Amino acid sequence: MDLNYVIAMLLVALGLYCLLLKRNLIKMVIGLAVMTDGIHLFLISLGYRAGGVAAIVSGEWFSDLPGFATRAVDPVPQALVLTSIVINICIIAFALSLAVQVYRHYGTLNPSKIRRLKG
Amino acid sequence: MIPHAPILAILLPLFAAFLTPVVGILARRRDIKHARELFATGTMIAVLVIVASMMSEVWGGKILVYQLGGWPPPWGINLTVDALAIQMAFMIAGLGTLVMIYSAAYMRRDTGLSYFYTLALLLMAGMMGTVLTGDMFNFYVFLEIMCIASYALVAFRRDSNSIEASIKYLFISALGTSFILLSVAMLYGVVGSLNIADLGAKLAIIREAAEPVPMILVAALALFVVGVMIKVAMVPFHIWLADAFTAAPTAISALLAGPAAVVGIYWVARLPYLPFGLPVGIILVSLGLLSMIVGVLMALTQRDFKRMLAYHVISQKGYMVLGIGLGTLGSVLGAQGGLFHLLNHSTYKCMLFMCAGAVLFRTGSQKFDELGGLGKNMPVTALAFLVGALAISGIPPLNGFASKYTIYLGGIEAGLPIVTAIAVLVSALTFASFFKAFSSVFLGQRPERFRDIREGPKLMLFPMLAMAAICIVIGLLPALGFDIVGPAQAAAENSAGYISQVIGGI
Repeated sequence: MDLNYVIAMLLVALGLYCLLLKRNLIKMVIGLAVMTDGIHLFLISLGYRAGGVAAIVSGEWFSDLPGFATRAVDPVPQALVLTSIVINICIIAFALSLAVQVYRHYGTLNPSKIRRLKG
Repeated sequence: MIPHAPILAILLPLFAAFLTPVVGILARRRDIKHARELFATGTMIAVLVIVASMMSEVWGGKILVYQLGGWPPPWGINLTVDALAIQMAFMIAGLGTLVMIYSAAYMRRDTGLSYFYTLALLLMAGMMGTVLTGDMFNFYVFLEIMCIASYALVAFRRDSNSIEASIKYLFISALGTSFILLSVAMLYGVVGSLNIADLGAKLAIIREAAEPVPMILVAALALFVVGVMIKVAMVPFHIWLADAFTAAPTAISALLAGPAAVVGIYWVARLPYLPFGLPVGIILVSLGLLSMIVGVLMALTQRDFKRMLAYHVISQKGYMVLGIGLGTLGSVLGAQGGLFHLLNHSTYKCMLFMCAGAVLFRTGSQKFDELGGLGKNMPVTALAFLVGALAISGIPPLNGFASKYTIYLGGIEAGLPIVTAIAVLVSALTFASFFKAFSSVFLGQRPERFRDIREGPKLMLFPMLAMAAICIVIGLLPALGFDIVGPAQAAAENSAGYISQVIGGI
């Protein structure tokens, strides 16, 4: 059945596992990236249609609008995923730059050793 | 209303943010002093005027629907300004202006101020967007703009503490926003729409048709609630807040404690009605109670000025979530009290952080053990802190009393007197904690090295005194506050009106 949904949720679960349980900041960033990619796969799958055509009315489709409506893919998820990819690139780039700074200040990437703030 | 006011309130800080470095370069060439500070403050005042111009129409019972690009809802993205959104937008703009004035004095020893004001204005643009938008995905985008700007602001000074706080904040908050994105994706999968009004209308039909509620809706709601609760920092998800507020520059702590708290509570207030419309009251009440108690107990043990204030943010946000939760259990007073407490808490907590900032600015310390006897050196700061401390403890005649009392009444009205009892008890513990803070910073033995400490700069004192005045005025005339939160609470509950005004406006 819909294998892409299963894989999307698997990616989310893997990313979540990596983000919550790995003891290395870089691996946690990778987990975050995998998790958001799982969400993106889920989102883009919503708009998928086997044998679909691009959602642009052109050529002979003008004479067959109902047929077009049954075959065109949903363009909205594609726009959403593009936006979300850009946002998540920002977050991951920022997280990696913070990880570099952490290594400079603390000499380690192990989050359980980065503990100067307490209480 | 100024034409195009809803979109201008978002676009103005957004464009001003990226113009700030240009202003900085020009000012350096022409040798103009304080150009960036004036530019940022001017922008915020302009936003405040724009928001204020929408108020009379919105309070007149109208919901302003602004269609971006002229595409009618539910196809296009639209901005929807109802009384709830206008309360939040007004608070963000007003408090934002005061914090900008404060940061002109507080940040003057730092370098890289162009980037500071760029990020602060971006944060403002993100916050304005999250409260004014009428589209779920648009909400997610603005939320991320706000979050990324706030991670960078927390790490602004790049010392070891702020880097640690920022990376913690980033991981926890990115988890929350990812959950919100997943929830929005699920909603799109179920309904095929992203417009909040359209979602609300179609989900209502789905809820009517299916009994019990479809699993996917419950999952989407759960993800959304977790995401919002991470933003609000309710207790199981609160760990980022104390670190971030302690390590950030104090102007930013004030910005995050005042205006940024608004965004989370705005979505808590929307949550029970639109777009899900599922009963979440009992979740809100229990999370609120837990946060109130844990927050205040953690605050009692702190030896750090800003960290103590940060735990009180958690505790006081618990009151707001509790109030809104009581509102869904049938107590209008509770919901009004929650929103009223948001108004009051944002004002005095912003001011308390500014007091802590003034002390830190002059003495270089935020530890209770190192401070003492500063009341003689900094009388105005001490006075402002005293007003804030009494307000947060719910002592009449200050504004904190008015809103807490409303929440107490809400607890009784909802038939849960035990909730009221706990709320009163937490209030007493809050008072104890602030009494300790006041006596160890402003009273008692003054260390010799603090003998020549002077009062904070005038630019810091002005916003503090302005907020203290607001606290006293609302405390004496609580009707003023209810004029704002009454319509806001009615608007939050009025899903049918929201839907018909947005969709029916085609």
